[in-house]
Order: sequence, then C-alpha cells, then structure tokens
Amino acid sequence: MRSSKDFFCCAGLAFALFAYLALLLGAEEEWSIAAYVLLGVVVVVVLVALDVFSTIERLVQSNERTCQVLMVLGTLGIIAVFRTDHYTLFLLGTIFIYSVAVLGINVQLGYAGVINFSGASFFGIGGYTAAVFLQHTPTPPLVTLLLGGIFSAVVGSVLLFPVLRTSGHYSALVTMAFALLLKVFLEVSEWLGGPQGLALPPFKFLGINFAEDLVLFGNEYSFYVKYDLACLLLLVMTFMFVQRIERSWMGLAMDAVRIDETAAACFGISIKRWKITAFTIGNFVIGVAGALYSMMLSYINPSNFTFSDSLLFLSILLLGGIGSIWGVIAATAFMVVIPEKFQVIQEYRYLIYSAMVLAMIVFRPSGLLPRKPRTYIAGGLL
Amino acid sequence: MSKVLFSCRSLTMKFGGLTALNKLDLDINEGDILGLVGPNGSGKTTFFNVVTGIYRPTDGQVVFDGYDITGFSPQAVFEAGISRTFQRSRLCLELSIFDNIMLGNFKTHNLGILGNIFRRKAFHKTCAEEIEKAVELIRLLNPALVGSIHRPVADLSMIDRRRIEICRALIGKPRLLFLDEPSAGMTHDETNQLMDEILAMKSDERRLTIVLIEHEMGIIGKVTTRCAVLNFGEKLCDGTYQSIVENPLVQEAYLGQEVTEDEV
Amino acid sequence: MHILVFNEERFGSMDFSLLLQFFINGCMLGMMYALVAVGFTLFFGVLDVIVFSHGDSVMVGAFAGLTSYLFCMYISPGMPVWLVTFFVFLAGMAFVAGFGMLVSRFIIMPLRSAPALNTLLATMMLGTVMREAVRLFFPDGSNPKPFPRLLPDWSWKFGDVLLRFDNLALFVAGVLLIVGVAFLINHSRLGMAIRAVAQDAEAAQIMGVNFPLIVLLTFAIGSAVAAFAGLMNGLYYNEINFNLGLLLGAIGFSSAVIGGLGNIYGAILGGFVFAFLQVIGTVATPFSSAYKDVFAFGVVIVLMAIFPTGILSERQSQRV
Repeated sequence: MRSSKDFFCCAGLAFALFAYLALLLGAEEEWSIAAYVLLGVVVVVVLVALDVFSTIERLVQSNERTCQVLMVLGTLGIIAVFRTDHYTLFLLGTIFIYSVAVLGINVQLGYAGVINFSGASFFGIGGYTAAVFLQHTPTPPLVTLLLGGIFSAVVGSVLLFPVLRTSGHYSALVTMAFALLLKVFLEVSEWLGGPQGLALPPFKFLGINFAEDLVLFGNEYSFYVKYDLACLLLLVMTFMFVQRIERSWMGLAMDAVRIDETAAACFGISIKRWKITAFTIGNFVIGVAGALYSMMLSYINPSNFTFSDSLLFLSILLLGGIGSIWGVIAATAFMVVIPEKFQVIQEYRYLIYSAMVLAMIVFRPSGLLPRKPRTYIAGGLL
Repeated sequence: MSKVLFSCRSLTMKFGGLTALNKLDLDINEGDILGLVGPNGSGKTTFFNVVTGIYRPTDGQVVFDGYDITGFSPQAVFEAGISRTFQRSRLCLELSIFDNIMLGNFKTHNLGILGNIFRRKAFHKTCAEEIEKAVELIRLLNPALVGSIHRPVADLSMIDRRRIEICRALIGKPRLLFLDEPSAGMTHDETNQLMDEILAMKSDERRLTIVLIEHEMGIIGKVTTRCAVLNFGEKLCDGTYQSIVENPLVQEAYLGQEVTEDEV
Repeated sequence: MHILVFNEERFGSMDFSLLLQFFINGCMLGMMYALVAVGFTLFFGVLDVIVFSHGDSVMVGAFAGLTSYLFCMYISPGMPVWLVTFFVFLAGMAFVAGFGMLVSRFIIMPLRSAPALNTLLATMMLGTVMREAVRLFFPDGSNPKPFPRLLPDWSWKFGDVLLRFDNLALFVAGVLLIVGVAFLINHSRLGMAIRAVAQDAEAAQIMGVNFPLIVLLTFAIGSAVAAFAGLMNGLYYNEINFNLGLLLGAIGFSSAVIGGLGNIYGAILGGFVFAFLQVIGTVATPFSSAYKDVFAFGVVIVLMAIFPTGILSERQSQRV
C-alpha cells in the first residue's frame, strides 16, 4: 500500500462497485433493473470518456493486495445483504463456481494455448464423480471434491495423446468430439442415471450440513450462505493459484509455448511438458468446480454438461479477455446475472449471449478487461 | 585456441525433390566468428534449422564439442549449448522485454511446478537475480532499454527487437551462437551499429563462437574471422575473407555469369 | 419408414438383407455428411477458417425449403409436385447461398487477421444465433416440423430388401452435385481461381484474381451444397428440427478433418467413413445402438491421434 489516500480511494471505489451490484441484484421490477443497467453503462461510458479508467487502473495496480482484500470483503458484504434470499445466493454461488471453471480453461487456452471445447464435460466428470462416490461409498464430501478434480484430470489425460499430436483446428475437433461423445455417453449410461441423472447428498464439512439453513444467534439464514462461502473460498484459492502460475516461470513457459512453439523449443522449453501441465491443471480445477457445483445443485443430469455449456465457458473467457483473471470473473458475473435478472429475455438469452459474444469477437477481440503485461510480484513494477 | 568446436560431415537435407543442403562439410573453431554467405536460397537458414533441430537431416552428421548431436530435438540442441536468433524475428511480441530474455535461460532458474507456486520467497529471489543479469546484458547492447524492460516487445523498433533477440540467445550462456541475418530489415547505419555491439560483446566473451549470416560483404569483412560460402546447398569454399573474395567460384556465384564474363 | 430407423433390438444372428439395409442407410447418411463436409473443406481451402455455423446453414436450408413449400401451397395448392420440388430446392439453396455470402462478407472477412480460434468461436456463436432465431421466430419453431414428401414413394423389393425410389433419387442427386462441384473446382475458370486462392491468396491477387469475389462465390457454392444436404435430410427423415444443425455441423467438421482439411475428396471420404462408423457402432458393437455416436466420435479421436492432419493430407513444412 502506497499511502492512506490510495487506500481510501480503493475502498471508495470498491464500496461504490459493490453497492451498485447489491442494488442491481436486489432490484425486482424490470424497469428498475433496466435503469440500473443503464446507469452502469452510462457511468462506464463517462469514465471512459473522461479517461479516468487509466488512473483507476494504475491505482488498482499499485495497491493490488489491498484491492483483492477489498473485493473479497465486498463479496462477503453482498452475501450478508442477501442472507435470506435463496435465489440471489444461488446466483452468486453459480458465478463463483463458473469463474473457477473458466479459470481452469484460462490456464489451458489463455496460457498454454491448448484448445479445450469440452470444458463442460470435465465439469460434468467432476460432478458425476462426486455423485457416484457419495452415493456408493462413505467418502467424505471434501475428499470427493478432490476426487472430482483428479478423475477429471485422469480422463483428460486420455485425450492428451491426440491433443498433443494435433494442432489448431484438428485439436479443436478432438475436444469437440469428446464433448459430444461424453454427453451421449452420460445420456445412455444406465449406471449413471441416463437422462434423469443422479441425486447428490449435500456437502458436509466438520459436521456442518450445507443443505440445512444457517442458524446464527437465533436467526435463520439461507443454507446457500454456506455454499456461497465454500464456493467463494474455492474461487479465492483458485484465483491465487492461477495468478501464481501466471506470475512465475511456469506462466512464462506456457506463454512461450502458446505464442511460438518453434522459438520456445529452440530455447529448451518442452512443448509437451507445458501443454500436459496446463491441460491437467485446468481439468483438475474444472473437475473440482464441477464436484462442488453438483453438490450445490443436489441433482445433476447430462443436460447440465452439453457442448453449449462448453461454448459458454469459452465465450466467458473471450468476453472477459483471454488470460485475464479479473476479466473472467467480471464476464462470468455478467453472463450469469443479466439473463437471470431479465426474465422477459430469459427465452432469448442464448440468442442475446451469442450475438453479444459474436459482436465482441468482431469489434473488441481482446475482451472487456484485456490481460495486462506480466508482473511477477504483486503491486510492484516487477 | 583453435580447437574445433563444431563440425558437420556430408550434412544433407532434402524436402521432397528439393535438395536444400547437399553433403555439407564444415568445421568451426572455438572463438571464431564465422560468416556464412551465399545467395538467397543457398541453404544458409536451412543449415541453421537442421543444426538446431528444427529439421531432421536426411543424411550426415553434426558433432558439437565432441558429441554427436545429429537429429537432436531443438531442446536437446539448446541444452548442449547452441543458441540462435531467427531471420524473421521470433520474439513473443505481447510479452515484455524481460520475459522474452528470460525464455533464453528458462532451464537454469525454473523451480519446478510446486516451487513456482508455493515458494514465492525463493521465486522472488531468483527473479531479482535474473533481472540483474538481463539488465547487464541489455546495457551491453542498448542502455536506453534498461528502463523499459517491463514493456511489451511489440513497442520496440526493429533494431531493438534484434538486440533483445540477441540478449535472449546470450543469457543462457551458449558456447555457439547462430545469428540468422541479424541485419535484415535494418538500414546500413543500424547494421553497422549492431555489428559493433556484437563485436563489443564478443570481446567480453572470448570463448563464445558465433556463426553469422549476412549479405553485406563489407560487414562480413569487418566482423568475421572466417567465412564459408554456400551455393545451391553446397559449400563453395571457406577460409579467410580475403581468400573467399578472391575465389573465382564465389565471384561467379555472387555476381552471376554475365558480370564475370564482362570482367573477363 | 421402417428401414430408416435403426432397430433398437440386439442382433443375434445378422442376416444378409438386414446388413444390406444398413448399408443403404450408411450410404444415405454418408452422402449427407459428405455434402456438409465439402463446404467445410472449401471454406478452409480459400480462407483457412472453420465456419462452424455451416451445420446450421444446413438447418436453415431445410427450413427455407419448408417455407417455400408452404408458400407454394398457399399461392396455388394445385401446383404440380415436380414444380414445387424445383422451387423448394431453388429457394432453399439460393437463400442459404445468399446468407453464406453475407456471413463471409461481414463476419469471416473482418476476422481474417484474428487468431483462428476467434473465427471458430465467432462462427459457433453465429450458429447459435441462427439456431435460436429459427427456434424463436419460426412459427412454433421449437417443435419438430413435418417435412413434405415431395418425391414419389415408389419402391422395389429385392427379397427382404426394400429399395425406395426417393432414397435412390436423393443419392444420385447428391452424387451429381458432388461431381458437379468437383468439376467446377477442377475444370472451370472459377475453380482455377478458387484453387489459386487456396494455394496462395496473395499471389493469386497479384495475378489478377478478384479475391473478395472468389471468397463470396466459394461461400455461395459451399452454402448452397449445405442447403441441399438440409433438404435431403428433410426428405429422408420427413421431419426437420431447429436443432439438427449442431450435430450435423460437428459431424461435417469431423468428416472434413478426418479426410484432411482443404481436400474435397478427403471430405467425401470422411463423410462416408463417419456414416459407416455410426452404422458399425449400431450393428457391431456389443452395446445398444444408443452408443453409436459414442463409438463414432471415439474412433474420430483415435483417427486424429493416428493421422494428426487427416487421412488424405499433404504434409506441410513450416517456414522458420
């Protein structure tokens, strides 16, 4: 932290941001939601026009740690505000989990350049693994989270061979074929419940049952508060993990592999090793996210894990800015909240999604919050 | 001093029907600056690509420091101590200057997956050391760049990009450095400047051996200690600058039939 | 209709006529896939892009055909069937060809310098837009639509094997279309220009080839072929659905890739390979036929591992 003035600026900005988000999430009537969205757009446009954004960016960059803590506190504040509102809390949990999954894809595609069109499949593998273990064995739920990640990484390693041998569109096809294959497999496999899917017992940890309403000081709060906290914790951990990957020699090696394989190989960087590492780490993260998500849903079926969902993950990544961690979180929030808040457009949401991402790719391919040049140490130029 | 560091014997590279390198024999002594000259398409870059493992030679043998490195992968060639730059600059444009240079000695400072993620103290320490090393190298070539080592390479001019590419090749402390036409796309003055810098750097690292592709004969004469001339994938001759310039075969290949006839 | 639908029962003793029925079915599917794959490979040839919305062009073609059928019935219910059929094909193919040109002009060309993934994702998004637009804006679009039987339902019986005229006609028409396209590419001035652009767009432009025009025409041809595949699909199954493009697109893409992108014959080969993989998945695997796509896509993954750049592809060395 540079100075207390900086701190108050950051705190003020964070407060404004979260107050706005709280108002938006709390708004019920269509007109008020529309008004808030409009307000947001106007503020952003004005800030861009006044060129305040670069100042904010510098401020945030030089006080990174402070800002990260403020973001977590703000999110906790939002959870506290909506402590009895099942629906909003569920949305928040979805945002956190999806962000985790897309961060996994970000490691694969954003850093090492490994195309993965089967993100939702690995998400599903995590979920189904958790479901099977929880149904048939007395595995503790926390362990099933890890198992979800491990299974997803192991299944992913089957794909590694063709993915490493092919490149470009050819490897896109491999993962695409896998996504279609897995979806059909889940639908027809009786053991995995077929189209009906599987039910999951709730997440339990330290004797706390996450499906029971939270009782604090005699007041009852939604059980989703617990799930949100768990999801937020997972997101924070993933955030730190992915950021440390980026800000290390690993991130550098992955970047080199993505940008220019020949040059990377000529400087002794193993293409295979880093692609394998990125793909496996990514699938692990996606799998863990899938396991926790399915426990939160308490019921999963193949239609949660279709090719369209994989596309959604990739769209979020592109919308936020490939490689940009904050971009991923912002884009996820946007993609999850907006259609849910506008029930009128609910029916049209895929149309609007895809038209929006299409426009984004054509007109602003670097995304909402483009990735910044690497800094190795938080806050500093370094 | 004149120990043979690198040699290749009847090195041949065919692409389908095209013979890009034909039975090339070449010895390079340690500490030399060898100028590799020849008309366009004579196989100079192919020679680099075969030696550095990007292509697998059709036939022949490459020996480096007493070890047979024929058909090694680019990684293994690099690990053996051979580094290079590329004709068409292959920096990672969106990465910073520092990042690009760090690619050149990735092996020496990597801490392993867990080390990178969990040992942040150790990481910060290596990072600080590496920055010092990088700054030292950059200072040799262009001190003005020291202040902006965290800017993306895309912002730099052509000559600065070449410099960064040379830094990247040097930071891993190679024993043999291949410079693939470092002056491509530069003005005459810039080329001279860059060559002076290379000479200055060479005087710091006496044992470093350099192979340089260059079209301008004046530069070759000034910079190199020995020369080899390629034409249609074959070696016409090698020797000192004076000897190759006077070689009629070279004059013919370089100046073309007509001019030679005129001279006769 | 019974031959069109795979029997769900397990086949203990497989008799010859049943195998033949499966063979016919495989040929029909293969033709459809090949037609879709040809578009993928053509677009890849001229622009090095994968246009994933191509599968949805197939669907749009079918819906455009249906619309023009309804229109014909509306203005003159007594119109002769052959004329209606002609109009259906003309309208479907022309509409999709026009649409394909618009797509190439306003989405593909502006993205030429962007990374390949961006184009792929953009066209996937476009596919979703097309799919959703049909679902939302076609009257009752979210439900399957009956597709009229326009071809006479003559059939011949050879033993137990039923050979239907409409199948035969569609197959022959498909063959003629593919031969026509191959002839166009290999033996016409337009085809020469397309091939020139495919080899080296810049050099072709210097030699006076009108690059934007060639791209437009290529998209028109490929899209029209896709529309034909969509109409064929409608006539074959007598039902169309807003959703049929996604899987057909994925299969067409797989077929083009199996064959080797940029190679027309590869695309045709790939289409039939995929169809027969599905048939084998139905007949020969020890599971129920529901696993046929699992099997087919699994084999695609294995094929990609063995032939990383497709079966009929030339190896390209990269410039360093």
